[in-house]
Amino acid sequence: MAEMWISMGPQHPMTHGLWTLKVKVDGETVVDTVPDLGYIHRGVEKICESRDFTKITTYCDRLCYASANTWAHSYIYAAEDLLEVEVPARAEHIRVIAVEMQRIASHLMWLGAFCPDIGNLTAFVWCLREREMMMDLLQELGGSRLHYNFPRIGGVKRDLPIGFAMRARAKLNLFLDRIQETEQMLDESTVFLVRTQGVGYAKPEEMVNHGVTGPNVRAGGVNYDIRWAHPYSVYDELDWDVSVERPSIKGADCYDRYRVRVDEMRQSARLCLDALDKMPGGAETHYTEGDPMILTKARERAEEGKTGFHHFEDSRGESMFYLAGGGDQRGKHPYRISIRSPMFITIPYAAKCMIGHKVADIPAIMGSFDPCIGETDR
Amino acid sequence: MGMKIKAEYAEESAQQVVDAAATRWSGTSLLAEVRHHKSGMKLPYVFINCPKNHWRAVAKWLRFEMGADHCSMITGTHWPEGPDEKKWEVVVHLMRMNVINPPERGGWTEQVIRDPAILQDDDVPMEFEISISIPDTRNPSVQSVQEVWMGADWNEKETWDLVGIEFEGHEGMRRVLQPHDTPVGFHPLQKEHKIRYHDSEIMYDDPQGFGRKPADDGKVK
Repeated sequence: MAEMWISMGPQHPMTHGLWTLKVKVDGETVVDTVPDLGYIHRGVEKICESRDFTKITTYCDRLCYASANTWAHSYIYAAEDLLEVEVPARAEHIRVIAVEMQRIASHLMWLGAFCPDIGNLTAFVWCLREREMMMDLLQELGGSRLHYNFPRIGGVKRDLPIGFAMRARAKLNLFLDRIQETEQMLDESTVFLVRTQGVGYAKPEEMVNHGVTGPNVRAGGVNYDIRWAHPYSVYDELDWDVSVERPSIKGADCYDRYRVRVDEMRQSARLCLDALDKMPGGAETHYTEGDPMILTKARERAEEGKTGFHHFEDSRGESMFYLAGGGDQRGKHPYRISIRSPMFITIPYAAKCMIGHKVADIPAIMGSFDPCIGETDR
Repeated sequence: MGMKIKAEYAEESAQQVVDAAATRWSGTSLLAEVRHHKSGMKLPYVFINCPKNHWRAVAKWLRFEMGADHCSMITGTHWPEGPDEKKWEVVVHLMRMNVINPPERGGWTEQVIRDPAILQDDDVPMEFEISISIPDTRNPSVQSVQEVWMGADWNEKETWDLVGIEFEGHEGMRRVLQPHDTPVGFHPLQKEHKIRYHDSEIMYDDPQGFGRKPADDGKVK
């Protein structure tokens, strides 16, 4: 049969954003794929070059609307590496809570978007209902619903609100019950299993060589996690396990990637509950009292040629910021800021994974890798 | 209880890489040293200043002998105010993840579970930062490492697209983030391209910045 090219996107439910997947098909079989990105390239890296170190957080929030806090924290840790800032323990605990709640919200958003793609609309409604609880808690912390602008260089915006721990415990425990319902519904749904099991095999070594990280690699049966491999914050003091799947011999399929994310949500809830228990007292949530604005020291600390970087476990894989200081000439601005987006690297790999599958499997494979176009295009 | 790698083992492991580099690249101007993060747990990482013409060989050495199996980021910086020998810089971040395919047992697979507390020597996850300086030129270029890490492919595409550094031997180079019909030679992260608020400290009197747009001169690369 004759082969032909089809454009899936930029407006297609499979894309979860704005990009085009050019697919070469032979009948119903995918022969070749070419992803075409850049539809919402905003030039965040260039904009950040003329912003103060403290003003960049808002741009990082907007890299991914489903996972704003993890991206803002990712930048903040890199900036602290450049500016040599120490963070009080209480602030680190609050950060863990903010990041892990955001991870739950992001994974729920992913599950909610993934299931309608493969014919299960109920999970969409259920997941958004549970995500709402996380949104409410994060709103209490940051003040807004999606873009919190919560972390600060050297601390967090503000201390926990009164009664937050009580409400967070109640909602997280309720969430742990409810995620079980969703899981049961999906695991017993024939439609869901048929569409995900045995589709889109990926092996860990190959994934790492292609630059794919995070839950996708852990679905392949390897317990690599940046939170222990390059530890930051207080993850080493908290009680949690790395979620790992046990894939088949052919590699991790879409079902494994779903399982590992559901388990990761449980671990995140566990981390939040434990951080609430172990949080040290006091009101010390910022760098030092005498130095509320780190900017005053940026000129001398971010010398020309000095760099800072930090690998961060984002909800989609390894995110990373690389900052170069500008010295006296540039003052408070970074000279160069470079963003490593996990999905920018993962999307070409996911597109390769599809080769040999049917056209109807494309949404399942693409969706299972959790694409987010805001961070991809930057 | 949570887990993390042991700082003293990480220190040893980083030192081993540096020692190996000193032996293997003794005749070249390659410089390797152990550096430390400056906040948090202040963990060590390996910094390598790599001469431009050896980059692909160094990359292969890192990948196959030092076990850096993950290419995290390749990025470039334009330093017009920098010294003549470093007007451009390519910065590469690698990671040693030690990821292997789960071994097969009885028709099923065995999970690869590593215990961070006992990881030593080559098994310690390690960060590498490699800096490659490019002297003053209108056509900066370095060797491509597309064939060493598949993940370097799109990183190099992005670096060429935004910064304008060529990668010799890169197959299928194209614009990935800019539109396809972007003029040849336009790479927005080069420093001669300014955005409206560039270098301005106060931006409230003229919120749109129309009054301050700098002259677009000196656009030659």
